[in-house]
Amino acid sequence: MTAHPADRLLPYLRGELAAAERAAIDTHLAACAECRDTVRDFAALAERLARAPEPAPPLHWGAFRAQLRDKLERRQRPAAAGRRWSLWPVPATLAAGLAAVLLYLGVLGPGGLTPVGKQATLEGQVLDGRLDVVSQLDLVQNLDLFEDFDDIDRLDPPAPRHES
Amino acid sequence: MEQSDEALCRDVANREPGAFDLLVERYQERAYRIAWSIVRDREEAKDCAQEAFIRLHEGAGSFAGQAKFSTWFYRILVNCCLDNRRRGRGWRRLLVWRDAEDEESAGDLIERQPAPPDDPGERMDEDQQMSRIWKAVETLSPQQRAAVTLQYREGLATKEIASVLNTSEATVRVHLHRAFAALRRRVGGTR
Repeated sequence: MTAHPADRLLPYLRGELAAAERAAIDTHLAACAECRDTVRDFAALAERLARAPEPAPPLHWGAFRAQLRDKLERRQRPAAAGRRWSLWPVPATLAAGLAAVLLYLGVLGPGGLTPVGKQATLEGQVLDGRLDVVSQLDLVQNLDLFEDFDDIDRLDPPAPRHES
Repeated sequence: MEQSDEALCRDVANREPGAFDLLVERYQERAYRIAWSIVRDREEAKDCAQEAFIRLHEGAGSFAGQAKFSTWFYRILVNCCLDNRRRGRGWRRLLVWRDAEDEESAGDLIERQPAPPDDPGERMDEDQQMSRIWKAVETLSPQQRAAVTLQYREGLATKEIASVLNTSEATVRVHLHRAFAALRRRVGGTR
């Protein structure tokens, strides 16, 4: 007995094979009960698939076409806008590159602080400023007592307060 | 006399008014049905069918007229569905597909299903049989589903399916054979 024709059984059932190939399968089927069973089952499945009710959920075709028209128009609109913007890429790229170089030279500088170091310094200055205000709290609290604001700069630091 | 699909497609390429709408009306249901058979989701199938029509509108000029229009259009449609899959939309469903694509895994999965009842008294009625066979189709890989749908719902020959799926006729035969073998194990053959 020849090898099982396997993936040629469906084309055989559909009449898609050449005469010689079909004859070879006929000969095999005459001798092979297993393939005869397979052909019988495949034929039944094919028949069921062909007449099975359509399982796809229903659509409203008017809405389908309206949405399609809308999508098509939107697809065409950005294409037209894209052509106008197509003049931009070269200058925009150059400008972005130039900005990056200036940022590096002007803000960080070659050999300057790393971004992390720079940020830490700035944060330290802000923190120092806040602590300075707190250390002179008494002076700040009494500022509204002074009429002559020029005297403020000449004041000595206030004496430490003694809690009674 | 009704204008052929091929002539209409040429009219779409020349931006003849009404040609595109006419082609959409002719193919909308088939397009949606095929897309649904592959993606198994109403909204995704609708999106894929619409995307295929948009690509048809944009690329009608590239239709050479050597193949049938339907074959050319179905190829666009199937590509849309597979693109949709690659983009990861409907990923939950695709998790099932990934398993199903592994033929061994699919075989194992199918083998674990209960055998079809042999007792005539337990046989399901016609509607249940139909429902069961389409449920079984869902377990197939997208390519297998596409091949089964194109052949047994749309009536395409194996050679045409090969053109739609952009593969060889031998590969389509393998897809179909494996699909039928899986369906046979799952739902049985003769009743």
